[in-house]
Amino acid sequence: MIGSAGDIVQQIAKGTRSAAAVLAEAKVLIHARNPDLNCFTATTFERAEREAAAIDALQAQGKPLPPLAGVPYAVKNLFDVEGMVTLAGAKINAGNAAAAADATIVARMSRAGAILVGALNMEELAYGFLTENHHYGTTRNPHDRTRGAGGSSGGSAAAVGAGILPITLGSDTSGSIRVPASLCGVFGLKPTYGRLSRSGTYPFVNSLDHVGPIANSVLGLGLAYDAMQGPDPDDPACAQRPVEPAGGSLSLPRGIRIGILGGWFHEWAGPAARRSVQLAAAALGATEWALLESAEVARAAAYIITGAEGGALHRPRLIEQYEDFGPSSRARLVAGGLIPASWVIQAQRARQHAYAQAMALFERFDLLIAAAAPAVAPRVGQETLLINGRSIPTKAGLGVLTQPISCIGLPVCTVPVWPGEGESPAERALPVGVQLIGAPWREGLCLAAARTLEQAGIAEVRLL
Amino acid sequence: MTQVSDNPLEPYVRAALALQGYTFEDAEIAEIAAQFARLEAIARTVFDWPLPFASEPAPVFRP
Repeated sequence: MIGSAGDIVQQIAKGTRSAAAVLAEAKVLIHARNPDLNCFTATTFERAEREAAAIDALQAQGKPLPPLAGVPYAVKNLFDVEGMVTLAGAKINAGNAAAAADATIVARMSRAGAILVGALNMEELAYGFLTENHHYGTTRNPHDRTRGAGGSSGGSAAAVGAGILPITLGSDTSGSIRVPASLCGVFGLKPTYGRLSRSGTYPFVNSLDHVGPIANSVLGLGLAYDAMQGPDPDDPACAQRPVEPAGGSLSLPRGIRIGILGGWFHEWAGPAARRSVQLAAAALGATEWALLESAEVARAAAYIITGAEGGALHRPRLIEQYEDFGPSSRARLVAGGLIPASWVIQAQRARQHAYAQAMALFERFDLLIAAAAPAVAPRVGQETLLINGRSIPTKAGLGVLTQPISCIGLPVCTVPVWPGEGESPAERALPVGVQLIGAPWREGLCLAAARTLEQAGIAEVRLL
Repeated sequence: MTQVSDNPLEPYVRAALALQGYTFEDAEIAEIAAQFARLEAIARTVFDWPLPFASEPAPVFRP
């Protein structure tokens, strides 16, 4: 058992476990569990050994330990790691020069004492909610190997869900932390747009890209989030705000008003997803429905902005190297690059309007809840999802409940709930996550609600 | 020889591809046009949304 980040930090501080011993356990777990899951695309064991030795030296000298001392973690392979090529899941990047330095938040994790053990698989260029990568293989679900891990941060969620690591990092443009966290049964945090620096990460959609942690405990999520906060002039979208620690105080204030998102979020939640929301709402004492009227238009706006920016970003190489892109993404990328400017402007106007509607909703509620995915993990290769009688393509449809929220930049903590619903015993054993959605910059409230659900036993990471 | 397609958006796709410097075979154009049709279907939601005339776009979004 690798344990939670909080446990590891405490054990190393007390001297009952060394950072080197934790790293050795992580290596054993990677070797044992990765071959049939395909979470990792590279390991960084030499670096990890240096980092672990430095932590053990501090401990031996009785010096103060940093907040994530000795906690092993890995990153989606779109984060720059010094000395490694940043793949972003794409063959077209394999020949690039190695990164000269760590991404800002990787460097901050290192400064906080975390031990980097590797890079993780993802959907090619982060475009899609699966991790069925044409070049680097499919990442499978730790709870059912016939099913996918979701994406695009599939390796990040599966590595935590399989009990290999307590923390990983991912990115979320339209749901790429929250969807795989939901499917793999782990905690995930997509902070407010601009909260965490994206400097040194491979971009997809500048207007929508977020980065954040995935973890096997809420405390671990909070520790990583706090370690990564802070302004960064190298990311123009990064808010120049001071660090606002959230991980230290995870109790939910009394009198919190929680709304259950209906409308779009109920229509596109299948029976298992609805049951997850019901369980979380009951545990939080939420009974009132809330309606975000612009949810559908926000989702559509995100879709247009994603297509246009993604297509424009990759146009030069789509012209030169079309065959080197995966067959499931290249035509979509080219099509996105053909979107007329008037659609994009209209989408950006709609986005601002949807944001204003959400802010009006936050005058009545402090927190909103909704399912993080419309259903349990689909089978690998499954092309469509059937949700309440309506069919939707799997690759895009898994994000139908996350996309409207990231479009307007709200912070969300996704928690793993086990609804026990489904047509087969296999389906009934799978999780569907719940999104705990806050007003901008209220990550602390999202984490506190997640901790409440964790303590109530409603949200938990189940290891096989 | 150019194949006839029943996708009404394909002429636009062909013109836009040429404008942006792409050259593709007919089968690839048909696939791209099919993807563009999916985008257009979703985009309609945004076109039909009654936005206030003065609402501003959010090209750099800062909540």
